[in-house]
Amino acid sequence: MEYVAYALVIFVILTGIATALLRDVLAAIIVFAAYSLGMALLYTLLLAPDVGLTEAVIGAGVTTILLLLTIVKTVRPGGERTFERLDPRAALACGALAVVFGLTLPDLPAVGDPNSPILSYDAVTGHYLTQSYAETGVENTVTAVLAAYRGFDTFGEATVVFAAGVAVLVVLRREVFT
Amino acid sequence: MIELLATRWAYAAFILLMVTGIYMMIANANLVKKVIGLNLFQSAVFLFFIASAYVVDGSVPIVHSEGGGGPYVSPLPHVIVLTAIVVGVSLTAVALALIVRIYGEYGTLDEAVLREVSDD
Repeated sequence: MEYVAYALVIFVILTGIATALLRDVLAAIIVFAAYSLGMALLYTLLLAPDVGLTEAVIGAGVTTILLLLTIVKTVRPGGERTFERLDPRAALACGALAVVFGLTLPDLPAVGDPNSPILSYDAVTGHYLTQSYAETGVENTVTAVLAAYRGFDTFGEATVVFAAGVAVLVVLRREVFT
Repeated sequence: MIELLATRWAYAAFILLMVTGIYMMIANANLVKKVIGLNLFQSAVFLFFIASAYVVDGSVPIVHSEGGGGPYVSPLPHVIVLTAIVVGVSLTAVALALIVRIYGEYGTLDEAVLREVSDD
């Protein structure tokens, strides 16, 4: 498990950095799709198969298609150089941010540590894990929380998707409101 | 240092990928690449959530009718990440539609050129 996870982490970091440095947008989109697929595998390895499936379909699938449609409709710069020039000021700022976040690393619990506070199973999470089948009839706790306990959240999410669809139509002038 | 990376590898990866996404949003001149950077940033944050829910030798939170089993990974971060992925793709769609319109108006997607053109 560990070595597969380490290999996947190295893969996503390399593809992520390649996405940032490739100048050709089409190449960056293709590498980013590979990154999303690696990320989906990593989520699945970390025992989140629902998230892995969603990331594979939406991150590697829908987002890639949207990005490809955009460069079909606009322009694909590139040509003279393979890689972007490194912006020293931005790299310095991002490096400083990484250092600040990195300083918090020793205080975080180890990955998978059963004693970490998020796994203490207080009243809320413990209730979902023990009662969800009796109360909703769904064996998958993630589905039970998403569709039953916090169905209102999911309704709000559907509203966001609808609003985004309307916004895309308005911005692209496919729909005229009079 | 090595021990720290070996036990907190997912958080270290989160930090690296997050700053890569922020770097793309600041430094890359092309607007499409800025949106890709935003998506990269997003999935790095999802990795942080999923890694914090993980427990060694745990199992997927599918609890059978007779109960028992476990330890389970925490289901709540999974739920919030599922919602966030869908909201993220909606955001990406609107951003890309705006980019198509910007290209229609100005004929370029380069940040510096756009700034010059809009100053005129």
